Amino acid sequence: MDFEWAPEYTDFRDELRGFIQQWRTPELIAEYAATHGGQGPRIREFHEAIAERGWMRMCWAKEVGGEGRNMLYQFIFVEEMEYWGMPYGNLTFTSIAPSIATFGTEQQKRHYLPGIYRGEFVFAIGYSEPNAGTDLAALRTRAERDGDEWVINGQKIWTSLADVSTHIWLAVRTDPDAPRHAGISIIVVPTDTPGVTIRPLYTMYGGHTNETFYDDVRVPVENVVGGVNAGWGVIMHALNHERVGLAATGGLARIYDQLLEYLREERPDRLADPVVRGRLAELELDLREHRMLALQNAWIISKGGTPIVEASMAKVSGTELRTRIANVAMDLLGRSGALSAESGDRAPFEGRAEFNFRLSPIFRFGGGTNEIQRDIIGFAGLGLPR
Amino acid sequence: MNLDLNDTQELLQQTVRDFLERELPFDRIRELERDGAWDQPLWKEVCRQGWLGLPFREEFGGAAGGLVDSGVLLEEFARRAAIVPALEALISGRVMQSRATAELASEWIPLILSGECVPVPALLEANDRFGDVKAQVREGRLRGEKSFVDYGQCATHHLVAARDAGELGLFLVDARTDRVECETLRNIGRTPQCSVVYSDAPVQRVSGEDGYLELVALGRSLSAVQCVGHMQQALDMTVEYAGVREQFGKRIGSFQAVRHHCANMFMRVSSARLLAFEALSGLDAGRLDPRQIAAAKAAASRAVPEVTMLAHQIHGGNGVIEENDLYFFTLRGKERSLAWGTAEECLAELAESVDARCEWL
Repeated sequence: MDFEWAPEYTDFRDELRGFIQQWRTPELIAEYAATHGGQGPRIREFHEAIAERGWMRMCWAKEVGGEGRNMLYQFIFVEEMEYWGMPYGNLTFTSIAPSIATFGTEQQKRHYLPGIYRGEFVFAIGYSEPNAGTDLAALRTRAERDGDEWVINGQKIWTSLADVSTHIWLAVRTDPDAPRHAGISIIVVPTDTPGVTIRPLYTMYGGHTNETFYDDVRVPVENVVGGVNAGWGVIMHALNHERVGLAATGGLARIYDQLLEYLREERPDRLADPVVRGRLAELELDLREHRMLALQNAWIISKGGTPIVEASMAKVSGTELRTRIANVAMDLLGRSGALSAESGDRAPFEGRAEFNFRLSPIFRFGGGTNEIQRDIIGFAGLGLPR
Repeated sequence: MNLDLNDTQELLQQTVRDFLERELPFDRIRELERDGAWDQPLWKEVCRQGWLGLPFREEFGGAAGGLVDSGVLLEEFARRAAIVPALEALISGRVMQSRATAELASEWIPLILSGECVPVPALLEANDRFGDVKAQVREGRLRGEKSFVDYGQCATHHLVAARDAGELGLFLVDARTDRVECETLRNIGRTPQCSVVYSDAPVQRVSGEDGYLELVALGRSLSAVQCVGHMQQALDMTVEYAGVREQFGKRIGSFQAVRHHCANMFMRVSSARLLAFEALSGLDAGRLDPRQIAAAKAAASRAVPEVTMLAHQIHGGNGVIEENDLYFFTLRGKERSLAWGTAEECLAELAESVDARCEWL
């Protein structure tokens, strides 16, 4: 056992930090905030710069155009990008790309992966339906074969980013007669295909997610990823990778650091209070514990394994910690903790604590609810009876 | 970066686990607890197998390994509730190896590894505060009182924190003379412990304050591992029980509330173990980072009551009878959670320096 980072990792982190400092302009951050994780000219330019350095695909296998680097590099990459709040492709990068690399046909890999690493393709994820949330296998959106096309009809919900995406990673029922897990496929639907309708659902954290409707949407048969009726395994794989992203420590550490910096600079009286310091120390400990679970997860991937239990642990721990950090931060900031970014300089560190308080619920139920994650930990990790 | 045990460590873990399962029935622990005794035959075996010597240099008869190896060993001992002064003798010897003069180290460490000499630290006094040391050394003789000395009445020597001309240091004292008087303390963990009065006992100086700080760092990191071992065993027993116990015609582990308790226990144990071994790995790399070590002990200490009390919740009445083995881990775990820094003390240390720039990533 050895927890020390070898120089090649620390050098990489230093290189990344230097790069990020160079690119982290107020204009880029503003564009990222305004598009809610979408696309814009500055973000595209940033993606190109990342792509040029090979960082988006450095951990992909050589056969799919990567460098086959150890997954710990991606762990570091995501940590730093999240810490500095930089747009790096998020779920398209952490969840969809590895799934295409694993399950895609040669032709799919050649088509989608370069587009993803150049930042040209942004995927929205279409799993949930109004009546298929945690019980995802209840999904009813159907795709029927018509010659060399699929004809898709149905409705999805929480299709975040659909309005700024180029593709939708859509879970559909392709065999209504099969047992429910065995009749599902993943089909890639270009967002601009006729019949796709996107309706925004405005959220309490600002911005919006979407409902998406599919009316006789026609896509080529070869858009199925991972085989017809074999979609459940693809979804589980993608969700596992999604959890790695949801569990990233960077963003959490950033809120904590900003809180500390704010108290140090603006409210030294509060920082001198032993009660305040005690609560900060507890958050620091929570962060340290969580980071270990996130690291454990990355470690399993880095040796070629598929973390299931470890991914669930990191997901539960990181998402619950986000709520706790935002909540404690607001408490320690007092009334100004409730001021939002619109209050300008009066809001402590751009209202990040207040914003994260509003944002944090989605992580706990998204990507598989934490209750389901605890079930997974119990079943798969501890072998508890069904 | 390598979060797995290496081949040697894996073999060690398996060997020790098999050995203890074979040779150390829990009824033997009950007997020792009743008599307030320690497991001398087991200690002989630990020394004979060379397990104690893992993190010592070859010139002293050690295996030139690291503290992570010792962590693996101590976790297994904790999982079996063994009553041996492994942590105490090990860290005393380690501080001698790193801080004592070459003569002293080469005289004493081989005796420790062979089991002839069993040294245990004696740092705390009645006030129970690290660093607040009143015991005095004058002209090579120690006068003062110590408390909460684990295995003090079983040891051949005490490694005592005392002040000589105002300077804090560690001093080796032969505990078998009439100038050293031990009074037994009975604690919740039912392991040997005592308070000690030293009346002009002759000493050998081992180190200055640097050795004291290292001793605390070692004790803290390794006692975190002991907490982890106790918790892991409580978890394993609980998972096994939830898999066989039936109510409402179903095994209770199939109820979501029970399953989630178990999942929470598993998460607490996992992060506590990783932090504890991170601290040991840091020490092996030659870094003594007091905040990292305090975090490891705080995490382990605060998890102990949560994990073991959930274990009891799931075991119900069966978990509280002494015929059941669960109490070993609840009680021993709580005792270890207080040793070498409670969760409160360790968090207070983090709080003290909380505005130091923390390099998270």
